[in-house]
Amino acid sequence: MLADAGKAQEIFHATLREAAQLAADGESPRDRLWFFRNARWRCLEAVEQGLQAEDVDIEQGDLAERAPTQIQQLEPEQFATWIAAAPDPQRTALAFFYLNEFSYRDLLSVTELKPPELSKFLGNGRREFQAWLDATFPPSQS
Amino acid sequence: MSATRLSRRDQILLKCAPIGEKQIDDRSLRTAVHHARNTPAFATQQNFDKAAAALVQAIPIPKEIIEWVPTETLIVPERTTWKKYVQNPVFLATGIAALVIAVILAFQLIDRLNRFPGEPTARRLLTTAASTHSVILDPVKTNAGALGDYFFMKHRLAHYDVPAEFADLKTLGLRVFDDEEGQRVAQVWAVEKKMQFFLFPAERDPKSGATKHFNGWRYVDQDRWTGVVKEEGGVCFMAALRGSQGDLAPYVSKPKS
Repeated sequence: MLADAGKAQEIFHATLREAAQLAADGESPRDRLWFFRNARWRCLEAVEQGLQAEDVDIEQGDLAERAPTQIQQLEPEQFATWIAAAPDPQRTALAFFYLNEFSYRDLLSVTELKPPELSKFLGNGRREFQAWLDATFPPSQS
Repeated sequence: MSATRLSRRDQILLKCAPIGEKQIDDRSLRTAVHHARNTPAFATQQNFDKAAAALVQAIPIPKEIIEWVPTETLIVPERTTWKKYVQNPVFLATGIAALVIAVILAFQLIDRLNRFPGEPTARRLLTTAASTHSVILDPVKTNAGALGDYFFMKHRLAHYDVPAEFADLKTLGLRVFDDEEGQRVAQVWAVEKKMQFFLFPAERDPKSGATKHFNGWRYVDQDRWTGVVKEEGGVCFMAALRGSQGDLAPYVSKPKS
């Protein structure tokens, strides 16, 4: 979400503190996805204070069989930076989807998107990422 | 994903298909994945997503965070609520079937509880009541309560007494006839609400010949006619009128005078 480990850690601590505070007050969050929702909004607030991703048309490419090989050549931080550069709510959709911890319904709930919206953001995200992979690792090299 | 084989809805859902099938908790998504399982495009998407997810898993998480909160504790497993059970087609179908069986059993139980010895005769006499005109009755104008002696004296019918609940009603006429089973039946026409009374022998056990007794008043319906029946001394009394149980209830609920 942030591509900044330091900020991410601050947000994690802040979220944990709030959860502890609520629990101490006897108001433990009933929402099982509360931790992620809270962290997400904190991330979005943090991002608002920094550079904003522009909502521009990004080149897209068809998903290719070579994609796994291209992805293996990436450093995790590069992928994190790529996702963090996406405009929200696409960034949220991609970040939570590739965490691979959520079921479909959880994903809809935590991203606060409708199925066609989530589908569009994930579908476009994949195609944009493929275009970026092709630009970074041209097919002839991979 | 071939557009010719997959519906637009499937195509929308498949773009959200989780990387592992264990995370598919939506029936329509599961169906869409099933439809696309063998398509090359879906396989490419899954391989793409698996590679990307593997990359995310490789992102180092600070040790202190893992120590504080293990990843598996962050998402509490969803509780299976009664609403989810209800929405499951298997439970829904079973529930509906059980409900239908319960309703049928309840109807049968109620029907069985309402049955009483002499009910077939009472129903038959309701048909008689619907087709009888006062002109075929002998005119006898008196209180219904006085007819017990009349039936005994004139027709030698013992215990053909009108119960206290209907004893004060005025009569217009009466007749005594043999029904199709050869039983002696007394039919009385009352003034009030064009009500008719029937007195007939109570049902007997075919083997022992003993009278089959029952307690209290029992209702019986036939072709928009309703009767209320009571057995006493081996004779059944039935008050009948064209109407519902509600029309007869006030008579049988009032205390005996």
